[in-house]
Amino acid sequence: MERNEGETMNVDIVVIGGGASGLAAALSAKDETNSVIVLEREHVLGGILNQCIHNGFGLHVFREELTGPEYASRFIEKFHAENIDYKLDTTVLSINKPDDCFIVEAYNNEDGALTIHAKAVILSSGCYERTRGQIKLPGARVAGIMPAGSAQRYLNIDGYLAGKDVFILGSGDIGLIMARRMTLEGAKVHGVAELMPYSNGLTRNIVQCLHDFDIPLYLSHTVTDIKGTKRLEEITIQEVDENYQPIAGTEKKFSVDTLLLSVGLVPDTMVFESMDLTLSPITKGAIVDHTYQSNIPGIFACGNALHVHDLVDWVTIESEKAGASAKRYVAGEIKEERNNLTIEPREGIRYTVPQSIDMNNFKEPVTVMFRVTNKYDVGTFTVKQGDTIIQQKKARFIAPAEMESLMIKPEQLIDQTTPITIELEVK
Amino acid sequence: MLDYVIIGGGVVGTLIARELSKYEVSILLLEKENDIGNHATLANSAIIHSGHDPKPGSLKAQLCVRGNTMYETLAKELKIPLIFSGAFVVARDQEEVDTLDLLYQRALHNGVKEVALLDADEAQNREGNLADGVLKVLDLPTTKVTYPWEVAIAALENALLNGAQFKTNAKVTKISPVNDHFIVEINQQEEIEARYVINAAGVYADELASFVEDDLPYRITPRRGEYFVLDKKVKGFVERVLYPVPSDKGKGVLVVPQVHGNILLGPTSEFQDAKENRDNHSDHLNWIRRDSEKLAKNIPFDQIIRTFSGLRATSTYHDFYIQPAKKHPQFIHVAGIDSPGLTAAPAIAEYVVKTLLNRDQRLPKKTDFNPNRVKKKPFYESHFEEKLQLFKEDHRHGHIVCKCERVTEAEVVAAIHSPVASPTIKGIKKRVRAGSGLCQGGYCENTIVKIIARELNIPISEVDYYEKETPILWKETKVKR
Ligand SMILES: Cc1cc2nc3c(=O)[nH]c(=O)nc-3n(C[C@H](O)[C@H](O)[C@H](O)COP(=O)(O)OP(=O)(O)OC[C@H]3O[C@@H](n4cnc5c(N)ncnc54)[C@H](O)[C@@H]3O)c2cc1C
Ligand SMILES: Cc1cc2nc3c(=O)[nH]c(=O)nc-3n(C[C@H](O)[C@H](O)[C@H](O)COP(=O)(O)OP(=O)(O)OC[C@H]3O[C@@H](n4cnc5c(N)ncnc54)[C@H](O)[C@@H]3O)c2cc1C
Repeated sequence: MERNEGETMNVDIVVIGGGASGLAAALSAKDETNSVIVLEREHVLGGILNQCIHNGFGLHVFREELTGPEYASRFIEKFHAENIDYKLDTTVLSINKPDDCFIVEAYNNEDGALTIHAKAVILSSGCYERTRGQIKLPGARVAGIMPAGSAQRYLNIDGYLAGKDVFILGSGDIGLIMARRMTLEGAKVHGVAELMPYSNGLTRNIVQCLHDFDIPLYLSHTVTDIKGTKRLEEITIQEVDENYQPIAGTEKKFSVDTLLLSVGLVPDTMVFESMDLTLSPITKGAIVDHTYQSNIPGIFACGNALHVHDLVDWVTIESEKAGASAKRYVAGEIKEERNNLTIEPREGIRYTVPQSIDMNNFKEPVTVMFRVTNKYDVGTFTVKQGDTIIQQKKARFIAPAEMESLMIKPEQLIDQTTPITIELEVK
Repeated sequence: MLDYVIIGGGVVGTLIARELSKYEVSILLLEKENDIGNHATLANSAIIHSGHDPKPGSLKAQLCVRGNTMYETLAKELKIPLIFSGAFVVARDQEEVDTLDLLYQRALHNGVKEVALLDADEAQNREGNLADGVLKVLDLPTTKVTYPWEVAIAALENALLNGAQFKTNAKVTKISPVNDHFIVEINQQEEIEARYVINAAGVYADELASFVEDDLPYRITPRRGEYFVLDKKVKGFVERVLYPVPSDKGKGVLVVPQVHGNILLGPTSEFQDAKENRDNHSDHLNWIRRDSEKLAKNIPFDQIIRTFSGLRATSTYHDFYIQPAKKHPQFIHVAGIDSPGLTAAPAIAEYVVKTLLNRDQRLPKKTDFNPNRVKKKPFYESHFEEKLQLFKEDHRHGHIVCKCERVTEAEVVAAIHSPVASPTIKGIKKRVRAGSGLCQGGYCENTIVKIIARELNIPISEVDYYEKETPILWKETKVKR
């Protein structure tokens, strides 16, 4: 094969990342009139789903319980049936817009440098895990401390177990799933510590992954010391007060060789370093309107690259919408000029996605996804414009870990200019 | 019999090896770790100080100022990154202003070039994120910042090119003086004979020196410094190194722009007994936050990607102790090399070789000494056309292993097989920066482990994280076949 020429191509829509999100976006973006290409840095499509060999995927989209790879394969088959273009082992490094089209720069072993001119770009590059440094974990810097998702990949894709005596910091879903998974592989999981007074994982995962295996969950606890010379030998956990400061005298020590971190995921927007993509300080993903278009016209975002999802079903639904918008954008059906009405999180709400509705393109009902700041048994979500209540929704078992949603219809709005607010009322 | 054994592969030992390799002598550098530059040289502020701080007349003052001027040539010859950042020393109250004036005089006395005192407005103009309430600033344009462990790697590579040899995993466990030479014991097994021994063992210098000198004039009292690292996205937040006015506790917490755009906040300063403990403490990290805000405003603390700490080889002698041993003058102490040791290192090497070892100029000079290190331009620094060229040479340049730092498989493979190699996760990170970015290896580590395993023909569960016997994985779960 001739390997010395950098290749240049023209495509209508480039999709960055071929996980659940990229696949769904590409499927809904493609029609007979346009061209779409998916670029994926891994050797296979499907993204993070490939390492999620547990079940619990697809309850909403397919009304059945699938494993991650099964869920992925349903989309991959459709994707192949539609004959959508894609390149594997291909990493996108940057995106620029010097003139009227985007220039996507990607690399792989065969084409070398790939330069793609595109009218629209869908960012579906997933997220990365927070690491030890970002949470400023004190103590010795020894081998044996790794993000839970990395351990999951080593175990489920490569067939290697990270350690035999394990502790888990953070009760995010990956940590919970890994507590069970490592136990099943013969490791001893000594416990899970969570800084907050409630778990950050889905309730079903607490039950099925910890309770069923008698793994203790230490709420309002964190790791305050790490000891070891080469490999991790011992960790200390401590209870924290309401300001998250360790309380003296509550130290518990565990002799473990492995500490997995499940302390949060961050949307990966790295390829936009050279463009002025506006990011939300809370989600760390792009700020989008209801078409999932970012502040840069023609750039759409969805899936974990937009905000971190715990259920793949919502990823799929969101990404289909983003894909459909990109298709309409390329076909000239989305008005260039925008008139954004913001949606603002108020009391009890951490963030919403989308963060605005583009009134120039608002015809269909819009689903707003959001997360709350605290855990409550019951409460009411109130949507307002100014002092006018335009919608209320009662909810049970409200928790930061469970994404909430509600629908806003065009006819509900009282005017085109008063910002929409969402708040949570609890008794 | 060897002519010279150098103990310690930090920036000091490696630069001495390079300096000695200019002569027709045999040189062996011994390093106890599986990589060079894993101690003070790995964990410091990376500043090439101007020389404003050391006490006039001290060896520190002399070698710091000299070292600072040597770095420009050194960087060209060894292809090491160097930024000409400059620095401000920041005074915040009248007492500090008074000290600053003294510091200005001291800088002039030490021979620092281009120093000036600036008023608050002028300083604010030049450094937008300087903290409010600053009264006066000492401007030090000759301050620079480098990439410390690459200095050590580059120096050793160049020394090897000129005939020196080195051994890692080689801990000196005993030194026995005999007649006109020494028997140096390695790992309590092997023995090597050498006419000269140069002790550049950092915090262990006193322990090794006790083998040849009974009443040592110094003891090493390790002093720990802890840091935060901010992601390279913050590039440009400050242009210069910001120092507080020094106190009796040392230079204080600094704000330091790094060569790749990251910013360091730190270090703290804590004496400790242990020579190995490089833990981080939550309290100390909180001090860094508090103190760094006295220097700069709007510090993007949410961009912290990492913490680390290092041990300074501070000695009770209060200056660098660079002298022949009294009873055995062929043993050279290069001890107490704490800050500004990185800055001074090339000047220390010159001093050791020219002033101590070759005072009478009887060492035969090599006629074919090559001062230049061959280094490929990294992928991330290359222009598009150059990238195409790289790909033409090796198609594995098309495989991006680390997206954060833009590192290719070809670069990782080259690092694994380089002359001064250390095929561990950390060894690769030190050489090609894979894992230094935002995701801190979360993504690339998996790929790098596999590349190392493939290149060394070992299972991935035998790939080490950093030291010997620090595998990141425990065992394979499925028995194959
Ligand atoms: C451990 C874990 C357990 C989960 N458990 C459940 C569950 O039980 N039930 C459930 O419904 N959901 C679960 N989820 C959530 C759900 O699976 C994910 O939210 C969803 O799969 C994310 O899809 P995505 O496409 O947004 O991201 P990803 O799957 O991460 O896809 C992103 C893709 O982009 C690629 N990429 C990134 N950058 C580049 C680039 N520069 N160039 C080219 N390609 C790039 C990546 O390689 C990746 O393939 C779980 C998630 C995790 C992590
Ligand atoms: C927190 C901190 C901040 C600093 N900031 C700066 C700065 O900004 N600017 C500046 O100029 N200087 C700075 N310094 C000082 C500078 O880092 C050191 O002076 C310099 O790195 C010392 O290099 P070295 O080679 O002497 O020591 P090291 O790098 O510690 O090397 C000594 C080597 O000897 C090896 N060794 C020890 N015992 C044995 C044995 N028995 N057998 C074989 N090998 C052995 C060790 O493994 C080690 O690799 C700082 C230092 C610290 C700790």
